[in-house]
Amino acid sequence: MPRTAVATDAAGLGRARAGGFVAPALVLVGLFLVFPALWTIYLGLTDYRLTGLAAAAPKMVGLQNFRDALADRFFLNSLWLTLIYVAGSAIIGQTVLGFALAWMMQKVRPSVRGVVETVVLLAWLLPGSVVSFLWWAMLNRRDGTLNALLDTPGYNWLIQHPMLSIIVFNTWRGTAFSMMLFSAALQAVPPSQLESARMAGANGAQQFRDVVFPHIRGHVLTNTLLISLWTFNDFSPYLLTAGGPNHKSEILPAFIYNRAIGTGELGYGAAISLIMLVINLIIALLYLTLLRTRKVKT
Amino acid sequence: MARIILDTLSKQYPNGVLAVDALDLTIADGEFFALLGPSGCGKTTLLRTVAGLENATGGRLLSDDRDVTHLPPGKRDIAMVFQDYALFPHMDVADNIAYPLRIRGEHRTQRRAKALETGTGLGLENLMDRRPGQLSGGQQQRVALARAMACQPSVFLFDEPLSNLDARLRLEARTFLKKLQKDLGVTTIFVTHDQAEALAMADRMAVMELGKIRQVGTPAEVFHRPANTFVANFIGSAPMNLLAGETADDGLRIGGFTVPFPHDSPRLPPGTPVTLGARPEYVDVVGTSTPGAMAGTVTIVEYLGATALVSVQIGDERVPDGADPVLGLTVQAMVAEGTEPQIGARIGVTHQPNRSLLYAADTGDLVSGTGSGTGSGTGSGIPGSTAATVSTTP
Ligand SMILES: Nc1ncnc2c1ncn2[C@@H]1O[C@H](COP(=O)(O)OP(=O)(O)OP(=O)(O)O)[C@@H](O)[C@H]1O
Ligand SMILES: [Mg+2]
Repeated sequence: MPRTAVATDAAGLGRARAGGFVAPALVLVGLFLVFPALWTIYLGLTDYRLTGLAAAAPKMVGLQNFRDALADRFFLNSLWLTLIYVAGSAIIGQTVLGFALAWMMQKVRPSVRGVVETVVLLAWLLPGSVVSFLWWAMLNRRDGTLNALLDTPGYNWLIQHPMLSIIVFNTWRGTAFSMMLFSAALQAVPPSQLESARMAGANGAQQFRDVVFPHIRGHVLTNTLLISLWTFNDFSPYLLTAGGPNHKSEILPAFIYNRAIGTGELGYGAAISLIMLVINLIIALLYLTLLRTRKVKT
Repeated sequence: MARIILDTLSKQYPNGVLAVDALDLTIADGEFFALLGPSGCGKTTLLRTVAGLENATGGRLLSDDRDVTHLPPGKRDIAMVFQDYALFPHMDVADNIAYPLRIRGEHRTQRRAKALETGTGLGLENLMDRRPGQLSGGQQQRVALARAMACQPSVFLFDEPLSNLDARLRLEARTFLKKLQKDLGVTTIFVTHDQAEALAMADRMAVMELGKIRQVGTPAEVFHRPANTFVANFIGSAPMNLLAGETADDGLRIGGFTVPFPHDSPRLPPGTPVTLGARPEYVDVVGTSTPGAMAGTVTIVEYLGATALVSVQIGDERVPDGADPVLGLTVQAMVAEGTEPQIGARIGVTHQPNRSLLYAADTGDLVSGTGSGTGSGTGSGIPGSTAATVSTTP
């Protein structure tokens, strides 16, 4: 009996049958990932709208959407706000606070440490919508928890300080990840190296600079990459402020939503999405390059 | 250089372990002092307390006449070499060596020059640009030494610095370290659980057990006149024979035999329970009917190269198979290679009275004895001279 395919794989399936097994997965990936991505690129080149004439017969407009975006002060404003949001909540907020917590947790009793880690981790595990609601209840103008605590009834935090509100919100939500990652990294710093530095008379800052930081530099980079990407693409602040008031907290995901769904400019929204994707790629490449040069050096 | 004085120094860990128990000890200026003891006896803790990495929970620590008990590690003028060397992996050899100078704020060119100078003394001049990961174990150890030397401290602390080296390199490093210490004249405390290392390198040594010092003395004193049965059992390539018996008018009764008293034994009332200590090296194999010999059956012969270690079960019959030998009634004798008896042979063993010791059975403390062999420069027969240096703090 002649065999149609010579099995070269460990399971002895042969290429054809093996292909049969992965086909369903490939179809799903194609249907839900590749196709929408290509569809977004296509949409970005049209004047497709949610309603009206252009919804029935969208026209190709080439790069017009992208040219519009670069001249759109709302887009530029949104880009700037996103930058502040990422820098404030991801890089300063989550990284710095996460590291500080991890650093302090090294010295406390294991029982205290367990409690703190559980609480912080819970904030991270809760779904974004739930956390958004919690913060909405916290910052609410009428009977909000914060107003009760500070005795400032009727103060509307989300209106008065929209950026600060969403930055604090995201910091609170995401710090756990940085803390856990840095905790693990700090535990890998050899105690004898720290003690060597102490014997030489190094103070806390010098120990950090000469021993701790060189050991955790890779972790810092990876952590910063991950949380800046997550924060950059984070939509949940929309649930708190909806980008308002008056575009004051309209970070890119909120901007895209407001334009694509709110005013129905699907083509324009798709074009902005593409720009976001490119920015994501640039951030990732930047970090990867940094990581690689570091590896080459050591 | 400095003299180190421990004044009832204690360290209790938060979990209640009393790892260093009220120690009194004086380490002379320029001395090479070894701390020896079984695992967990508190050697590392004591060293770290002297370094300032652990806070003493009682007593005082003096460096010369300066009370340093509560000074931070960097202010004690003490350098430490860790067991894993603790080199900084991201700095090259020169930066590692010069690290203490950098903390002191010395200028970079000056630092590099001093690092090169110190490194050259240790044969590291061609490795100054390498990272620790690109060095062999022995080279890493020398870098760690150079880093300790770079700021010219008055005390060195070594925590098992040789244990990461292979057997051959360890012997070389031993000689090297001892010579280096003599050249520099820096007071050095050296922790080891390898007694051969302590005996070979130390000017004086302390044997520790459970946070206490059981004996302090020169290696020869500790080897020839162990102050108690713990030290006797711990020191020596083969443990000392410790044979339980009691005194009689004409000698010691051990396992039904009568053997001579060790020389210089005090007069004890007949019937006093005692322990006879005799090193296997100083036990002779003789005929079964020799006067003063204990007769028994050879059970084990271990070949050690130029010598063989013979275990003899004292008594008339061999113990039945599987039964535990009666404690203290197996005698080991070291014999020259080629003269060892057959397993199962009936032989007699005698101890050399001038080289054996008598211990009190209850306390385990040395009662008497002259450990002095031929010209080994030991206690010269003053009973109790070694015991006097033993810490007896409760
Ligand atoms: N950080 C610590 N916390 C609590 N107990 C400790 C700590 N470090 C050591 N111990 C205990 O203190 C005692 C002495 O430990 P130490 O490390 O000083 O022993 P050591 O003589 O150096 O042993 P080794 O030869 O195995 O290195 C041990 O019983 C140990 O379990
Ligand atoms: Mg130890």
